[in-house]
Amino acid sequence: MKFVFLIYHDEKTLDALPGKEMQALVDGALDYDQEIRRSGHYIVSNALQRARTARTVRVRGGKATTTDGPFAETKEQLGGFFLVEAKDMDEACALAARFPPARLGIVEVRPVRELEHS
Amino acid sequence: MKYVCLVYLVEKEMEAMSESEADACTDESLAYDDALRRTGQLIMAHALAPVEMATTVRVRKGKLSATDGPFAETTEQLGGFLLIEARDLNEAIQAASRIPLARRGSIEVRPIKELKPSARRVR
Repeated sequence: MKFVFLIYHDEKTLDALPGKEMQALVDGALDYDQEIRRSGHYIVSNALQRARTARTVRVRGGKATTTDGPFAETKEQLGGFFLVEAKDMDEACALAARFPPARLGIVEVRPVRELEHS
Repeated sequence: MKYVCLVYLVEKEMEAMSESEADACTDESLAYDDALRRTGQLIMAHALAPVEMATTVRVRKGKLSATDGPFAETTEQLGGFLLIEARDLNEAIQAASRIPLARRGSIEVRPIKELKPSARRVR
């Protein structure tokens, strides 16, 4: 089964980290990538730029409107995601808990839904 | 450059659709994925299971806590994402505005950040 890990963190907490600590966190995340690649769980992962770089797009009545910023203004923001292969939810959660930034933020684990043509 | 298009929807509205409406919606979404694939813009697209299937994981002081449900209770929920390749933000927004679900929900477009390892990891 495929699962996504949605990584949420408080960007202010990250911005306040000394450069060395931030780099240690990045290295930890990259090491984790390697580790779950070797164990065969990894499909893809991406870090996202800060929420303030986002644009939100809606189309109503055939007209597209674009607003600056993320869709939801929340204390914690989506900072990145993983797509992994795991046996079940328990295995996915155990895997998510080993992601080093899970010590600072939150990981939402959600199964992927396979869409099929009607 | 890579961008992620985060598709936010009101799950209740999606669930209230008739079967034929829901099928048409899925077909349209898959057709747009194919169109983006043909132009070389699509890296991947995935729909997510409803938020009630989510588990939220935290690790504090070495201890794991897992709670049922999504991290944030919001009126609209993340329902899927597309990872695309675009020349710039404008091109990414253009692509996002043609996602069929942009007519029902909201699409957040955000650039991907390449993580750079420190010197110790560069070999």
